[in-house]
Amino acid sequence: MEINEQKTDQCVIIGITGRLDTTNYSMLEKKLMEMIDSNHHRILVECSKMDYISSSGLRILLMGLKKITLMKGKFALCGLQENIHEIFEISGFTSIFEIHPTREDALKVF
Amino acid sequence: MRLHFPRLTFFRGLAFRYSLFFLIAILLILFFPLVVGYGSSSALLLINAQNEASILTKKTVAQFENVLQPTELVPQTLVQSMENPNISYAEVLRIARNFILHDTVVFGTCLAFEPYLTGKDNYWYAPYAWEKNGKLNTKILGSAEYDYFKMDWYRLPKLLNKPVWSEPYYDEGGGDTLMCTYSTPIYTKINGKRVFTGVLTMDVSLSAIARIVKGVSIFESGYGILISRKGRIIASPWPLRNNQNIVDLANAGGGKATQSAVCDMMAGKSNFTAMDGLEAKRFPSFLSYAPVKQTGWSFGIIFPEKELYKDMYLFLKVMSWIFGISILILLMTTVFITRRMTRPIVRLVEATRKIGQGDFNAPLPVRKSRDEVAQLTRAFAVMQDELRNYIFHLGETTMAKEKIESELKVAHNIQMGMLPRGFATPENWDLFATLDPAKAVGGDLYDFFYLDADHLCIAIGDVAGKGVPASLFMMVTRTLLRAKAVAGTRINEVIASINHELCQDNPSEMFVTFFAGIVDLKTGEMEFCNAGHNYPYILGTDEKIRQLKVRNGLPLGVFDQSDYSFGRFSFQPGEILVLTTDGITDALNTANDFFGEAKLAASLTLLANKNTKVLTELLIGELKRFSSGAEQADDITILALQYKSAGGESTMTSKKAQLKLLNQVSELDKIALRIEELSEEWNVPVKIAMEINLVLEELFTNVVFYAFEDSEEHVISIEFELIGGHELRIQLEDEGKPFNLLEKQVDDVFNKPLEERKIGGLGIHFVREMMSSVDYRREDEKNIVVLIKNF
Repeated sequence: MEINEQKTDQCVIIGITGRLDTTNYSMLEKKLMEMIDSNHHRILVECSKMDYISSSGLRILLMGLKKITLMKGKFALCGLQENIHEIFEISGFTSIFEIHPTREDALKVF
Repeated sequence: MRLHFPRLTFFRGLAFRYSLFFLIAILLILFFPLVVGYGSSSALLLINAQNEASILTKKTVAQFENVLQPTELVPQTLVQSMENPNISYAEVLRIARNFILHDTVVFGTCLAFEPYLTGKDNYWYAPYAWEKNGKLNTKILGSAEYDYFKMDWYRLPKLLNKPVWSEPYYDEGGGDTLMCTYSTPIYTKINGKRVFTGVLTMDVSLSAIARIVKGVSIFESGYGILISRKGRIIASPWPLRNNQNIVDLANAGGGKATQSAVCDMMAGKSNFTAMDGLEAKRFPSFLSYAPVKQTGWSFGIIFPEKELYKDMYLFLKVMSWIFGISILILLMTTVFITRRMTRPIVRLVEATRKIGQGDFNAPLPVRKSRDEVAQLTRAFAVMQDELRNYIFHLGETTMAKEKIESELKVAHNIQMGMLPRGFATPENWDLFATLDPAKAVGGDLYDFFYLDADHLCIAIGDVAGKGVPASLFMMVTRTLLRAKAVAGTRINEVIASINHELCQDNPSEMFVTFFAGIVDLKTGEMEFCNAGHNYPYILGTDEKIRQLKVRNGLPLGVFDQSDYSFGRFSFQPGEILVLTTDGITDALNTANDFFGEAKLAASLTLLANKNTKVLTELLIGELKRFSSGAEQADDITILALQYKSAGGESTMTSKKAQLKLLNQVSELDKIALRIEELSEEWNVPVKIAMEINLVLEELFTNVVFYAFEDSEEHVISIEFELIGGHELRIQLEDEGKPFNLLEKQVDDVFNKPLEERKIGGLGIHFVREMMSSVDYRREDEKNIVVLIKNF
């Protein structure tokens, strides 16, 4: 899995490439904590290149959402592949996460 | 129901009872003064009678004295004059004889002398003169035959030295009259010495006395009675009784009161007393008596008690008649009035009886007055009217209801007629289906029919709701299925098309959960689409049971979406597919417990290896036993399809692969890699591969983190098997401590706000949601998890 970050005026965009699973979820956890600690409370996770997510990955995203919400920031996802979206649906996460079809759509509301 | 009123009899009626009480009260009120009046007036009558009788007695006695006084006075005067020797007896005789000629009572006189007083030859000398028919006759008494010296009339005055009244006697010589003789002694001074010289007698006729006695009358039959000193009856109204002795009469039958009264009479007393009477036939009487002093007689007046009270009795009698007639009139009046008053009630009772028998037009009595009975009648009329209307409407409603019910029955027959029966089951297959409706028409359906020689379409559905609307919706669904399911179409397309049609015009917002499958009878492959229906059960020959946990879309009629997916399932020889509706799991018993999924699964496990008909019937039997009389709340539908054998050579392919891993998280990469390889090799869709990867990752990390308490290396093995082309069977084995993921409670992760979402617990949820079936067992100290994924 690769994680890249891109800072814009509106927010920080974290892009995930590859598989987010039990073996590597801590990388994302570390990155998110880093962002929150450095007062970046507006985060968009770009998932278009993420082709697998396990429950450990979902947990990290949920953790991120909870922390940012407490800080009155904004946490959103975008570009979910169909299979990934289905996993979100099964877990019921579609109702609690703000999910946008594309990065462009997401940035319009940030 | 028939109302029963006891017949009203007159004596039980209000009229009679009211009159009776009324009359009894009046009788009691009148009776008291009557009794008191009777008592006091009878006492008053008695006092009056006593006075009257006493006065009459005294008056009569005085009359006697008047009659007898001259009889005594004349001889006494004559005898006194004879004391003087100068008065010749001839003179005396002349005066005496003159007296009897003029006196009405005295009719005879005799001057009897002592022996030899009037001459030497005259031993007896007694010139007697008597009056007969106005003429005076004379004769000289005294002879050896008639020696008057020995007779009482001569002897007693001489002995007693005073005038004596003889006892009454019948004159033997003269007329048949009762008579009495008053004898007065004669004393003459001879040589200065007063010497007894003879007796002057006066014969007195008692007929005058008797007339007086007979003239005495008191009340109706009251009479006088005169008795002599010795009790001899001198005069009484009954001639026969005269000369009898009153003592004999009293003793003959009189009570003590009579006897003592008679004794007192003879003793010369006077009184007023009650006694028995002296007549042959005795009845209570009163006696008033007083003595006649000169003669020593006693006079009494006797009258019967009943005559004393006769007037009073008569008065009472008349009063009683008047009283009785008045009461009779009163009785008739009260009965008449009360009957008049109660007649409407009696008619009401009559009308009620008729109404009770179903005659709602029974006439009610018409009352113009405004009394209570009229009010009752009016209220009753209103009740009758309402009852009539009610019954009329009830009749109408019942008729309408019966009509609807019969129409419902027809609808039920049509609905049941639509369900296929008598099915020519294809070779190697066994099919049976049943529908047991809760009400006359229900919302469940099942169907099966051939698309072509090799393809069988099966379906089961459950319309939300019951009754006619549900059944209509069910029929539409079933008709659409028959229309849309044709050979060569994909089942998900058929479903999507039905859904589209149902969504077009669905004003009642009805929907149906639906499961349909197209079975390739030759290969045992089935393509199915589960639109929100219960998961079907698969019964293996090894008595293992699992569910086809695949959902391909929302129930039909909910939302017009076109993207229904489909699943695949390959029948193993002997396996039975059991489709049910929630009428089974939701069946209630009398204690309000659900039959539930667990019981259904347990029941089905025991029914493996039975043919589909037996299986279905036994399952229904089990359900009935469970409900034990509780009303069936929902339709119960079962469709069972068994693939008996592959029919000669098996077309089923089976591919296997194995993976051995150490208990380290880093081994996860191997799983991902292996799945990637296999999915390419076995032609498993990317989405399915990802789900399997996700599930295996959850299970594997669980084992790594929690199964072992030591830090040694352990082997975890995973076996993959592809059965047919569309079923993956994955078996995971570890030697860790027992852990049954099926028993783990999973929070309902859906529909909870962010704050309540737990970070953990998702893994088990994924396993259950994503796999078609999950099974766990503990064997040889190993946890064995079997996953099946149909795709």
